[in-house]
Amino acid sequence: MDLYVAAFGFGLVGMSVIAIAAVGFTMQFGITNMINLAYGEVMISSAYVAYYVNKAGVTIWVGMIAGALFGAVFSFLLNRFVYAPFQRKGTSHIGMVIVSLAVSLMIANLLLPIVGYYSVSYQDTTGGLLRAGGIVLTTNQIAIIGVAVVLMLLIHGLLRYTRLGKAMRATAANPTLARNCGIPTQRVIDAVWLITGALCGLAGVVAAMNSDSFAISNGAGFLITALAAAVLGGAGQPYGAMIGAVIIGLVTELSAAAWAPEYKEVVAFGILVLVMVLRPQGLLAKRGALAAAG
Amino acid sequence: MFKPSPLVSAVGAILVLAACGGSTPTGGGLGTGDLLVGVIAPFTGADAGLGPAYYAACLAAAPSINSNGGVGGRNVKCEQFDTRGEPADAVPAANKMVASNSNLMAVVGCTSDEAATVAPIIDRAHIPMFCMTGQSEFNKTTLKYFHRLVPADVYDAFAMVGSALFGPGHDPYKKAALVFGDDIGSQAFVAPATNAFTHLGGTIAINQPIHLGASSYRTEVAAMLKTKPDVILTEALGSAGTYLKEVKTQNGGKMIPFIGSSATIDPTWFQQVRDAIGIDDLLKYYAGVDLGYTFSGPAYSEFLTNLNAAASTFKDAPKYKQRGSTLHLYDGIIMTALAMVATNSADPKVYNSKIIDIANGTSSATVVNTYKDGVAALKAGKSIRFVGAGGENNFDQYNNSQSGYILVGYDKDGNEVTVGHLTPDQTSKLIAAGG
Repeated sequence: MDLYVAAFGFGLVGMSVIAIAAVGFTMQFGITNMINLAYGEVMISSAYVAYYVNKAGVTIWVGMIAGALFGAVFSFLLNRFVYAPFQRKGTSHIGMVIVSLAVSLMIANLLLPIVGYYSVSYQDTTGGLLRAGGIVLTTNQIAIIGVAVVLMLLIHGLLRYTRLGKAMRATAANPTLARNCGIPTQRVIDAVWLITGALCGLAGVVAAMNSDSFAISNGAGFLITALAAAVLGGAGQPYGAMIGAVIIGLVTELSAAAWAPEYKEVVAFGILVLVMVLRPQGLLAKRGALAAAG
Repeated sequence: MFKPSPLVSAVGAILVLAACGGSTPTGGGLGTGDLLVGVIAPFTGADAGLGPAYYAACLAAAPSINSNGGVGGRNVKCEQFDTRGEPADAVPAANKMVASNSNLMAVVGCTSDEAATVAPIIDRAHIPMFCMTGQSEFNKTTLKYFHRLVPADVYDAFAMVGSALFGPGHDPYKKAALVFGDDIGSQAFVAPATNAFTHLGGTIAINQPIHLGASSYRTEVAAMLKTKPDVILTEALGSAGTYLKEVKTQNGGKMIPFIGSSATIDPTWFQQVRDAIGIDDLLKYYAGVDLGYTFSGPAYSEFLTNLNAAASTFKDAPKYKQRGSTLHLYDGIIMTALAMVATNSADPKVYNSKIIDIANGTSSATVVNTYKDGVAALKAGKSIRFVGAGGENNFDQYNNSQSGYILVGYDKDGNEVTVGHLTPDQTSKLIAAGG
């Protein structure tokens, strides 16, 4: 029983990491209509930015901010100079997916000679160990959960209560109508890439902290987990992505406790397949903050 | 617009094909044009640390040959073929390698991740290969072009158990956790290690295959620690840092002794684990096993010089100065080149069998340690035995070469340090117990 309680605690950390990544990914898709398969590589690039900052003797929490800033700027530039020109030319949806896949491969291969293929670790990211009712977490893991909760609340506040959030929702629902209503959709989209890019960068650093040791090859894994949580919750739905993250994060750890750990991801993704069969639109389709009316 | 006729196109295609991949000899002789050594291994993915070690071997071997006249004047070059450590990616990589390079003289690499799928392809193409796999299915292989310069994984597993039971500086460990990656290569250790350890009085606290590349191993580590093992036997390349740091964290900042396979004698593994758990704990709690290298002598000296020089092409090359597989593959390439010179043939069907003659030698053979000395001896009409940077080779009828193990650790700079040996009696006990 102790092991299940401990696994639940670990699941809380896992779902926090996934939630940050998945919400950024799903917002990017929901508002800009872009399935950005380079998301995982931007995450790992940001993780390396934080690594070099941390290696220079700066605390990883400052490194996390550097990673978020890098993710924001990199994503913004990626859209401005790669994706947007293709979209303006009327490239099909599947064509844009292929473009993002190509970008992903280019980032990975450009990064490889710079950072090397070997794993690296942040310094002093463990923190003290805290035990409570069978749950064993480090102070830094608790901080990661806290960061995720704060970010989710901020996203909720942004989408529900700010003019920018309302403009984002309008752009997501019908960009042409939003433009005709006087919403500067291009600026909204720029803001979306900056915000989701920051989430992406932050998620990369948090995921790397969560892994203790990371390498360039982890980018693909980051993407798959974020994608799975986003799809599970309903593509384009931030609240759905949060729920998807909770399910995948908890199921992964609890199944490792209950069953053979080498199959823990099989179980999590098995649930994803099951949900897709029973409810192809995802758990929260047309209910989330970005859903079109009706 | 000019549109070529089908005939012109066909002639053009033939000319293009003829121009590709250098030339091949007709009716004996060593031919002309560059020769290629294909390095087929994971360069990306969870086992991405393996490929560079093998590529470094080729980069060191090529100048040994090229600066001494080449193979009948032909220079040797190296090319990477990435398998990503996945059989599904390895097959097209192997097919591409053999189909597009008619000047392949040898292939090195083929780890346990992909050997089962690529070795038959390379064998069908009649290219000598030196594979870094310990899988038991190759213990009695019928593939004529397959060569293995390292013992099967079962012996590596026995040596790890030997370290646990007979290693210096500790009482015999009685309760072991087996933490091996879920890849084919790592899982090959589990059965022989379990047999040897339990038959010699030990208990397996937990056998925990772990999914390589997972983002965390918290629950796995919690489950493992619950069984209270004395020692962890492990090979989980790529994920060792993540797993071991979690062990230290959940165990209140204290490591558990851990014994690694010979694949953990690797600069990337050292760096990863050092960064994760700290150098002090790595030096104190880690023990490894390796083949008994001397890291000295004329062959090793030339290897080391070339490896350091290879840094201009591949900056990490010098890191592999004590990597067993790098030494062995270096030797394999030199032996292949010598076999070509000895048979005066660039036809693998002719020179393949000569590789083993040169490795094993005969009682009257002249022992040579470098390509230069080997060519000179062959030109003088002598029979040779090549003893290279990795030491002597003794191939059996299945093209497997065997040698003994030593117990090792690291120093603070990542150099291998010998800490003990297994006696013949201990080795016999381990093999008998392991079955």
